[in-house]
Amino acid sequence: MELRTKEMLTSMGLYALLVLLVYHLAFSQVDSYDVTPIGAGLLWLAIVFTSLLGLNRSLVHEKDQGCLEALLLSPIDRPVIFFGKAAGNLLFLLIVEVIIVPLFHFLFLQNIEMSGAVWMLALALFVGSLGIAGVGTLLATMSVNTKGKDFILAVLFVPVMFPLLYAMVAALSAVITGEVLFPGEWVGEYWRALGLGAGYDAIMLLIAFGLYEFIIGA
Amino acid sequence: MGKTAEKAGFLGFSIDVWMYLLLGLGAVLTTVDLVLAFLFAPLVLGAGAGGTAVINGVAVSNQLLLSQKIFFFHVPVAISSFLVILFAAYYSIRFLMTRDKGFDIKARVATEVTLMLVVLTLITGDLWTRYEWDAWWVWEPRLTTYFILTLLVAGYFVLRNSVEDEERRAVYAAVFCIIAAVDAPISFMITRLVPTKMHPVVLRSGGGLTGIQLLAFLLGMFGMLMIAWVVFKLRERQEFASERIEALKAARES
Repeated sequence: MELRTKEMLTSMGLYALLVLLVYHLAFSQVDSYDVTPIGAGLLWLAIVFTSLLGLNRSLVHEKDQGCLEALLLSPIDRPVIFFGKAAGNLLFLLIVEVIIVPLFHFLFLQNIEMSGAVWMLALALFVGSLGIAGVGTLLATMSVNTKGKDFILAVLFVPVMFPLLYAMVAALSAVITGEVLFPGEWVGEYWRALGLGAGYDAIMLLIAFGLYEFIIGA
Repeated sequence: MGKTAEKAGFLGFSIDVWMYLLLGLGAVLTTVDLVLAFLFAPLVLGAGAGGTAVINGVAVSNQLLLSQKIFFFHVPVAISSFLVILFAAYYSIRFLMTRDKGFDIKARVATEVTLMLVVLTLITGDLWTRYEWDAWWVWEPRLTTYFILTLLVAGYFVLRNSVEDEERRAVYAAVFCIIAAVDAPISFMITRLVPTKMHPVVLRSGGGLTGIQLLAFLLGMFGMLMIAWVVFKLRERQEFASERIEALKAARES
């Protein structure tokens, strides 16, 4: 477990770093650029790519070493398995975010005065990550048993997560540039987006929780 | 689906007869819808043909007024697609509850019908946005969520093709279908939740449909639902038949 944690964290962290590097490629031909208006979107993109990698890894390991069968044999309730896996994925995602969010700020948003407080940023990240980890765990459990594996995960995961990501990009964008783009209105905008995202989380987590039993039993 | 189900009918006619009756009726209704739309329904807000009309203080050319006619086809197809995917999700839930293979087939066929309707909606919608918004595609909430729906429906079949074990394939597909169906109400409600003034909200109280427009629209709506149902039924028949043939073949070999 210890070993795997290290491996997961290094691969996810490194991957996120590479995504940030590739972002620079997109801006490399302009002398001075300002990514602030699209900063929130870029940050979420990095998180989505990294989480795709992490979700897939976390279940491929289970499958390769027969851990999932062992878990099924053990006298634990099936819903508990879902919570365990989802909580694990959420934890990994949060740790990686703690690394890449300051890094992103350092690399791309240095001269920006953020509109919102840090806790608002953290709350938006948490609501998004909660949905990603919950639904992602369900979809990854499906996709590891298919022929396509990570390809299938991406095909299913991105459209399902889209509404949540849309809301979370809006929330994060309000935190980063709200004062500049919508002066006076951004706090309301932030809470509205966060509310929508939390609602989507609630529905999706409930569905994922209810259906996980079928997936893991099949 | 045994013999009893095949003999069961409604109002004295067997399902077979109803199928062709409704197919014919659906075709007639949608045709009448289009004829009414083009020949009898007045242009929006009583504008006259020829030249331009002023709507909300903006001069609108005839081309735009006529492009509105696609509404009588586009909206029935779009609403049918939302309804059919909800049926697919219902059959998926039934499958998970009963593990009856018949429900898996029904859910799959319903999703196929959804795919057909979704593609038709995107094509007709695109033709309209080209004239109305001067662009083939706009990243507007309704269009975006509908595009997501298309990807989800396509993803359903990608998932199915990627699972080898039959039982597992059915369960995974059912689970994903339920998740995908969540997007249908979101996409339906999004023009009301996030008003952008681009995609019109059609079904609302005090909507601007005059008598004949409403009639044409409703005919199209029911006609399209009938066609969707018959296509579903025909495909379902075919699938059940091929299922039986496979079973018979297997029985003969053993």
